[in-house]
Amino acid sequence: MTETAPDLDRLRGGAPPRNHDARTIAALTANPGCARRGVMDAAGVDKDAVARQLGFPAPYGQSQFAITRGNVFEQQVKADGCAELLTLLRDRLGLTVPEARYDDLEEVAGSESREMRHARTRRLLARALETGEGTLFDHPLLRLEIGGRAVYLEPDVIAFQLAGRFHVVEIKSFAVIDGQAEPEQVAAAARQSAVYVLALRRLVAELGHDPARVAHEVFLVCPENFTNRPTATPVDVRPQLAVVERQLARLTRVDEIVAALPADLTFAPGAALPESVRAVQARYAPECMASCEMAFFCRDEARACGATGALGRSVRDDLGGVDSIAMALALAEGTLEPAAELAETAAQLRTATRLRREALGGLH
Amino acid sequence: MSSGPDELEARIGELRAAVRRAMAAGDRAAARRLRAGLREAERAWDEAVLGADEPSHGPSHGPSHGRVRPPARDQAHRALTLLGVPAAPKLVASVHAAFFPAEPAASLANLRRDEERSFRSAPHARPYYLCAALTADLLAPARGLLTISTWSLERRVVGRLSARADFLAAAINVAGHVRRDTPDVQRLLWRFAANIPDASGGAIGTVDPVALAGAARAELAVHRDADRRERAAAAARAAAGLGEAERLFGSRLRSLRAASGESHRPRPTDGEDR
Repeated sequence: MTETAPDLDRLRGGAPPRNHDARTIAALTANPGCARRGVMDAAGVDKDAVARQLGFPAPYGQSQFAITRGNVFEQQVKADGCAELLTLLRDRLGLTVPEARYDDLEEVAGSESREMRHARTRRLLARALETGEGTLFDHPLLRLEIGGRAVYLEPDVIAFQLAGRFHVVEIKSFAVIDGQAEPEQVAAAARQSAVYVLALRRLVAELGHDPARVAHEVFLVCPENFTNRPTATPVDVRPQLAVVERQLARLTRVDEIVAALPADLTFAPGAALPESVRAVQARYAPECMASCEMAFFCRDEARACGATGALGRSVRDDLGGVDSIAMALALAEGTLEPAAELAETAAQLRTATRLRREALGGLH
Repeated sequence: MSSGPDELEARIGELRAAVRRAMAAGDRAAARRLRAGLREAERAWDEAVLGADEPSHGPSHGPSHGRVRPPARDQAHRALTLLGVPAAPKLVASVHAAFFPAEPAASLANLRRDEERSFRSAPHARPYYLCAALTADLLAPARGLLTISTWSLERRVVGRLSARADFLAAAINVAGHVRRDTPDVQRLLWRFAANIPDASGGAIGTVDPVALAGAARAELAVHRDADRRERAAAAARAAAGLGEAERLFGSRLRSLRAASGESHRPRPTDGEDR
């Protein structure tokens, strides 16, 4: 733990820290530049509660049906010592018949304490690396440093093959129809799995073995076509791995962000909450709606001050250094003299204004 | 039971009203009595209108006419005996539905917890208990598995290969018990055959029990020795180091609340690691 930790505890205001999960990881990779989300996630703040307190509740989460269907499918795949999963991996990975061991890491002798589960995970994975014993590990608990803080991550299954490589297996309930699944969902699953691969590689390195023994190929187990039969699809997550590693490296600057904040800042519930939240800068984009509970609040704030990010990432990128809509309009009208670096953007805006006037004819 | 359906229907209506009145008056004992009579009448109505029930499949008991449906523990006991290996409640329920279809299934939820409480309050009061399987390394209750207390310790501990070995053994036992070919039985057989290599002989869409048993035996031969060794070692440790209740229901880590951050280890069982 770095010295940031007590600061983060103060920011969180005494509530117990929330675990990272697939959604926070997705948000992390989707919007690494947002200081507000970065600090809140690093401190483990309950963003949902904060959003509600601020009066912008996020009508959030998956539907109950989706969650239930996901659980039922996962149970089915893992039933009888992961019998169905074993069949799939024998077919895809070429697991040999003797490789059929099953280890349950969901609890340790009735205790679900994360420290114990992680310790046992380390022990069993070490044994697999040294003696080659062990095939399927159910709900292992991995740990990763994110922004200076240890975060627990829980992949669905890790498969170990005697040829010596670990594969992360994620069980998802979206369907693969004719070999294709919805690209957005696959992309989200790939990003999530990439973080698990990263955590597993670091663990393997800590245990003194070659991190390349964790394959960059993960398996997504999904229902096939319109049935409930599972099918396993290998996904190469090298691109996502590179992105995640880069973003995590940049994230260690959470301490810098926190150091720049007022010393008594806290996100605890109270009258000062809105100012506290506004004190940390956000970087809103419409994509935030899909991954962060604070999205409504940040959108309201962005609209109120006319931030260009509210119009979407591509627009913001096109506008370069122009941060507010008011400024963009002024540049377009020609009422504002652009600085040197904004000259090109300003020229484009003026061209666009002229084209618009021409297109609208006499209308405006 | 020779009343015609009309009289039975009238009687059922009266009994229903009587039950409601008793419940409204708060007289639970009377309500229970009347409810039993109502059930009897309804069953008689079923017989009169729908005809006699189908003969039951599989070994042992027919449906229990005139008696209350057997409790969950008996159903689980029967199904587990057929399976012969530690099994998850869902599998137990499927086996029961396939081989004893005339009985409506009782819920197996909380069965292990209730059995443990019953044992601890009056040890050995019952001829058998439904209890836990023990994990080989920590001798803790294995998540999601049911066993019978009359089984040997070797059968009731599960090592790392046991999940697979028991799945194969269950396939063999289930295939051996098939007498009639109903959709429930086929579904159960398919659950095994889909996950055992070379197991589905016979026509497309059906499972031949003989082929299934043969394929399961072939793979089981690969795992059996290693599995037996691990289980025997664990059983020896359990016999030496655990008390009676813990041998049945597993030894748990008693960890204090996260706030204090401490946790006790179970009684040291030698040879636990490596």
